[in-house]
Amino acid sequence: MTAGSAVVLVPHAGAGQRGAVLRRVSGMITPGTTPAKLRLLLVGLLALFVIWGTAAALTVAAHASAAANVVGVSEPLSVDAQQIYRSLSDADATEAAAFLSGGLEPLQLRRRYQDDIARAALRLEVATAAAGNSAAGSRFAALAASLPVYTGLVETARANNRLGLPLGAAYLRQASNLMRATLLPAARDLYTQENGQLAAADRQATGFPYIALVLAVITGSGLLWAQVWLTRSTNRLINPGLLLASIAGLVTLIWLATALSLAAAHLMSARDRGSAPVEALARADIAALRGHADESLTLIDRSGDDSFQKDFLSLQQRLGPGQGTLLTAAANGAQGSPGGRLAASAARTAAGWYAVHKRVRSLDDSGHYSAAVQLAIGSQPGDSGDFFGRLDTELGGAIAADQAAFRTAALAGQSDLAGLETGVIVLSVLMAAGCTWGIFRRLADYQ
Amino acid sequence: MTARWRRCRLLISAVGGAAALFCGPVGAVTPPSVPAASNPALARLTAQFKLASHTAKCDPTASSLRPSGPPAVTPGSYMARIKKRGYLIAGVDQTSYHFGYLNPLNGQLEGFDIDMVRAVAAAIFGNPKNRIRFVAISNGQRMWAVRSREVDIVAHTDTINCYRLTRVAFSTVYLVAAQRVLVPLSSSAKSLNNLWGQKVCATAGSTSLSFLADYFGLPAEVSPLVGAPQSIDCLVLLQEGKVAAISTDDTILAALKAQDPETKIIGPPLNSQPYGLAISLKHPDFVRFVNAVLAKMRADGQWAASYRHWIGTRVPAPPPAHYRD
Repeated sequence: MTAGSAVVLVPHAGAGQRGAVLRRVSGMITPGTTPAKLRLLLVGLLALFVIWGTAAALTVAAHASAAANVVGVSEPLSVDAQQIYRSLSDADATEAAAFLSGGLEPLQLRRRYQDDIARAALRLEVATAAAGNSAAGSRFAALAASLPVYTGLVETARANNRLGLPLGAAYLRQASNLMRATLLPAARDLYTQENGQLAAADRQATGFPYIALVLAVITGSGLLWAQVWLTRSTNRLINPGLLLASIAGLVTLIWLATALSLAAAHLMSARDRGSAPVEALARADIAALRGHADESLTLIDRSGDDSFQKDFLSLQQRLGPGQGTLLTAAANGAQGSPGGRLAASAARTAAGWYAVHKRVRSLDDSGHYSAAVQLAIGSQPGDSGDFFGRLDTELGGAIAADQAAFRTAALAGQSDLAGLETGVIVLSVLMAAGCTWGIFRRLADYQ
Repeated sequence: MTARWRRCRLLISAVGGAAALFCGPVGAVTPPSVPAASNPALARLTAQFKLASHTAKCDPTASSLRPSGPPAVTPGSYMARIKKRGYLIAGVDQTSYHFGYLNPLNGQLEGFDIDMVRAVAAAIFGNPKNRIRFVAISNGQRMWAVRSREVDIVAHTDTINCYRLTRVAFSTVYLVAAQRVLVPLSSSAKSLNNLWGQKVCATAGSTSLSFLADYFGLPAEVSPLVGAPQSIDCLVLLQEGKVAAISTDDTILAALKAQDPETKIIGPPLNSQPYGLAISLKHPDFVRFVNAVLAKMRADGQWAASYRHWIGTRVPAPPPAHYRD
């Protein structure tokens, strides 16, 4: 474009001396004559189009890459981090429950533990690769390195447990210590961080394009003024070239505004009906898992020290349902989202779980240890294990549904911006071409 | 005990059981390379420590109260209160193989100490089934559990000594152990003397740890050295190569050895550890009652049967009961 305008500026400049060219150029822009004014107008308009085209294309590129980042990087990493955190919490709770049920742990608990570890390991591998050399990447790698240490301790515990040796319990406590003191906090930090990244990418993709809008107004008014001036100074009502440029400009503006607002709407809906409820649900789910582990650990520990029970009660306060609690926040946030129904029913299940937990505690406190254990880990309807299982299934289902909703909406948002960048560039070139053609036709009248 | 102990307790709770393996800087005593005598500050601390732990002069094996006949729940007694409550609260170890441990195969607490508690509950309720509320405690928690009266009785391989007698009451001696040393089979050490400069693990709050501190001239309570919360945690440390040896009562060492055939017990008996059941000083009637139960067990062969089942087939005569009154 710049090369083109240079040709227009010095159409007859050959291999002549530099001074001559300069004289010639200054002659061309001698104020007062209409051709000089026309040339000046052309230069001004072309400069305006270059700035506008570049700014519009850059805006679109920034939004498109932010949307692609949300869909392709941030959201998958956030889901990975959430799954890792969840799997590890579940492994901790499951192993505690399995230990509570005696030397030969129930097969389904063993499978669940193995699935948790396999899922966490797989997600960690994928996430480590996706996160590359970033800070998150090294934290993923550190987590991945601790996981085999944890599983090693658990397997040593199992082997000793099967022999009926209390040494097994000692190894299990060490494993649980590693999990609660090192692995889970790292997983939680990572999830918080990835969620922050997702929110930032989301904000970038849905931000209002101020610069592009201001430039659109300036370019549009410049073009309008040019046509009014041309009509007055040449006595011709319409300049087809400038009209073409105006139409191209209008098309660009409409396309840009429509695509950007559609994409923003889709991405906001992805956030409001997807990632925001997922975050609230995931927080509730992980708190519930910790409560479940606390319930088992209180029974395993029997140290007369009620810190696990205290932890359970404070988690119960945080989980709710009730004003300002995690479950209520999750149910409200998920209202209208695909997971809304499941989230609402999870809040009801939690209340039932607490009631059974209370019975577990009163049984244990009155010396009926075996009955308390049975009620805590049993999977018969009405057992604490059954209530927790349902709560966990409902929250997990709500999370999966909302994650799917997020993906669909975010992908739609990304596709709204498809072809827009190329379109903006092509249309800007068309504006420049139309403008050049139109003004050259008027210039020809004077030669 | 309180600050460090609290921290341990917090960790115990944070870990799901009691893996407060890391609540001390290192779960082991490292004997210094310099003898304590050559370090005036250390010698002074050692002297202070010895003063604190050995002021009281007494006979630990003859310091309990005489029973007033066969075990009977007399009206208005502490036993009557326990009976009214419906269950006996007992502080026990759930990690000491053969003494007090949670059998992972059936989820029940079992062992020699547990048998003692069951006998006491049987004497109160007739049938001890569902009449005992077990509270699993660590070595470091034993004195506190009794003094705070959160438990009625502690059966936890608890050595009677003069210092502890000023804090809690003990039953008559129900077992006598002696401190020895456990090392891996591959170790070349022949006794504690060969372990200078190496890490030796003992249970925090145990007489074994105090003995080691004395032996190596290190004040256990004033130095930053702490043992593991449970003797079983010492075995984990030994298996992971983090300590060179474990030193505690031979009875407990035998139980550790039974869980790891790659270990051996070395050296001569280093001292004598008379075990008693700990009860609050505020319940002398209950002490007499428990002594009556023990006297009955010694006489009717219940003690010998339990010994044969948990400790060894060569059953010695039960430790004789001596009373101070």
